[in-house]
Amino acid sequence: MSQDPATTDRAIVAAVNKPYYQIVREMLADNIASGNLPAGTLLLASVVADRLQVSRPPVKRALELLIGDGIISEGPERGYVVGQAGSFKKIIRTNLHGLALDLPAELAENRGQPSWERIYDETETEVLNCIPFGTFQISESMMGEHFVVSRTVVREVLLRLDARHLITKDRSSHWLAGPFSARMLDEAHAVRRLMEPCALEDCAPRLQPGLLEEMRGRLGTARRTDAAPSPNQLDGLETDLHVTLLQPLRNRRLAEIVRLSQISLVINRLFARHIGVHDETDLLNEHRLVLDHLELKDVAGATAALRRHLDLDHQRARARLKVLSIVDAPSVPPYLSRVH
Amino acid sequence: MAGKQPKLRVVGRREVLPKPILEQAARDLGFELEFELLDTVKSLRRIVMQPESFDVYHQWHTVDLIWTARAIRPIDLGRIDEASRIRAAVSTRRDGGKAIGSLFEQLFLQPDGTLSSVPSDKLIMLPLLHGVDAFAYLPEVPQLYPPGTQASWGWLLDPRLHGRVAMMSDPVLGMIEAALAVEAAETVVFDDIANLSIEEIDLVADVLMHKKKIGHFRAIWSNYQEAARWMQRGGVLLQSMFSPALSLLRSQNVPVISGVPKEGYRGWHVDLCISSAAEGDRLEAAYAYLNWWMNGLGGAMVARQGYYFVLPDLVRPHLSEAEWAYWYEGRRAEVDLPDLYGEVSIRAGDLREGGSYYERMSRVRVWNTFMDEHAYLVRRWREFLEA
Repeated sequence: MSQDPATTDRAIVAAVNKPYYQIVREMLADNIASGNLPAGTLLLASVVADRLQVSRPPVKRALELLIGDGIISEGPERGYVVGQAGSFKKIIRTNLHGLALDLPAELAENRGQPSWERIYDETETEVLNCIPFGTFQISESMMGEHFVVSRTVVREVLLRLDARHLITKDRSSHWLAGPFSARMLDEAHAVRRLMEPCALEDCAPRLQPGLLEEMRGRLGTARRTDAAPSPNQLDGLETDLHVTLLQPLRNRRLAEIVRLSQISLVINRLFARHIGVHDETDLLNEHRLVLDHLELKDVAGATAALRRHLDLDHQRARARLKVLSIVDAPSVPPYLSRVH
Repeated sequence: MAGKQPKLRVVGRREVLPKPILEQAARDLGFELEFELLDTVKSLRRIVMQPESFDVYHQWHTVDLIWTARAIRPIDLGRIDEASRIRAAVSTRRDGGKAIGSLFEQLFLQPDGTLSSVPSDKLIMLPLLHGVDAFAYLPEVPQLYPPGTQASWGWLLDPRLHGRVAMMSDPVLGMIEAALAVEAAETVVFDDIANLSIEEIDLVADVLMHKKKIGHFRAIWSNYQEAARWMQRGGVLLQSMFSPALSLLRSQNVPVISGVPKEGYRGWHVDLCISSAAEGDRLEAAYAYLNWWMNGLGGAMVARQGYYFVLPDLVRPHLSEAEWAYWYEGRRAEVDLPDLYGEVSIRAGDLREGGSYYERMSRVRVWNTFMDEHAYLVRRWREFLEA
């Protein structure tokens, strides 16, 4: 059983809601760059998926994207090979299971779970990434095909999404996801402004040495540049404050509540990617205030600053949701079909 | 001027940019103008996603949204002719009967990037036109009610008009009108009719869908020409109505009456915004276009279809005495008055329903707005359209 604190971490980390294919894509690119996966290594989607304990579709998508990035190429017979065609002498067939890979936290703890759990996070992320753009119907059968799981597993996932108020059944018993309403943001915020400062208070005395300094460094870099931060930079800063800082949290129940209340992170991330990052001075200043208080070991100050940041950011997320609601969803998984 | 002038790309709704206006502006400005008539949410999507595809946008209750997306740039008030009059209007018309509600509350850009009524040197939009809308009906309708009954939004849902009512398909304005109708007909009171909650949207949508299924609505129209056709020969007795459709019907001798609802009007305003991507010559041309509107001629032209200009004094020299008296002062037309295209649309002796400019504007119950639950509203509205 995976009842260790790692489960909690996984739950919190998933709140950043980066799509799985993106996580896999970055992880493979990193391991290729670091030499863990040398040029010529054969990558089969099924084997990579098995090694990472994720389903196949995101791995396939990640591999396709990496071809576009010019980092891997199509294999001579099947699969993909690290490096551009001609840049390696022969195909290396490595047992990926025997290979030490640097896995991001999202994937590192992805083992020993029942099958519904393995696809739950991915489904939740994909649903959350679509519903700010409208209303979608979920096809159980397509979902089963997509994840290569049985109807029972699909239903288990859907019922859990339903329990978390992320999807509903309409009058004709179809599963509907969305739209992401202003009320969802309001309700999540009302919980979050109470719970996240509690979580921070709990974690503050147990932060890893040097962590704050690193975070302040990243924030300082962003504040010193005249240009607005890149979407990735922004993701990093938000993850620092709202995910990484809370990793020492031992109360799993609190961790789950905090994670579920962080849905505005999705809105901010989608807005940054599809509409653009504009002036983020306010956000950067709010972040700094929290970190400064932590640095001075003023926990009460830090929690007050965090609450203030959450309140202000809530207003920004509300305005951004309005913009997203008129835009088309950039990418929709095959088991979701737009109804409105 | 030496060098090639760029073509200025202007986007707006068809009601606001009728052909005579476009032609007049192009003649006066001396550079090429390209007008694109767009009036759906799809077009709003383009404004937000591709600011480089336009230079000037005649915005319509979406300024907060397009500013959040930074699709528009602040307007330097110092470069606007009549800036002092605009400042004065803001300070005198923020409240009371002369208020132009939602317009001035989000006009000025503040140093922190928010919009408010506190004066600054930057406008987020140049206020241009406003007015009030309601429903309109044929003379048979008042005969269904005891003499002296004041018109009500509830009439849109009244069983006495079963099968003879039309509504508009636009979700944003349509939902506001439907909410006004439900409030009047079902004796419910919404907390904030300009920002309905999910339950309130559900209530309105359920009433509409029931009415639609029993055949209450004859038609749901998507533009004012279509609306006019339904009343002219489609059997519609009462319907939502934009004022250009009133002008059109009157020029065709249809005896249409514009409702003065006891619950108040739905107010609207249309303003000018400059694209965040406009630079150099295009930006210069955009300011020239904005200032063209400030000469009052365009405002006078659209007065003939019932619209009010933000600075009425500037419009007056371009209207005849009789036109000013009818459109702005709410007095009887002394002579036949033309519409925007030169056709007679107001007969001598006609009186504008609702009265003078200030009388009409002070009876705004709700301003057009993009509600917080817009996405949910659209979902339920689509169910109504498809029911």
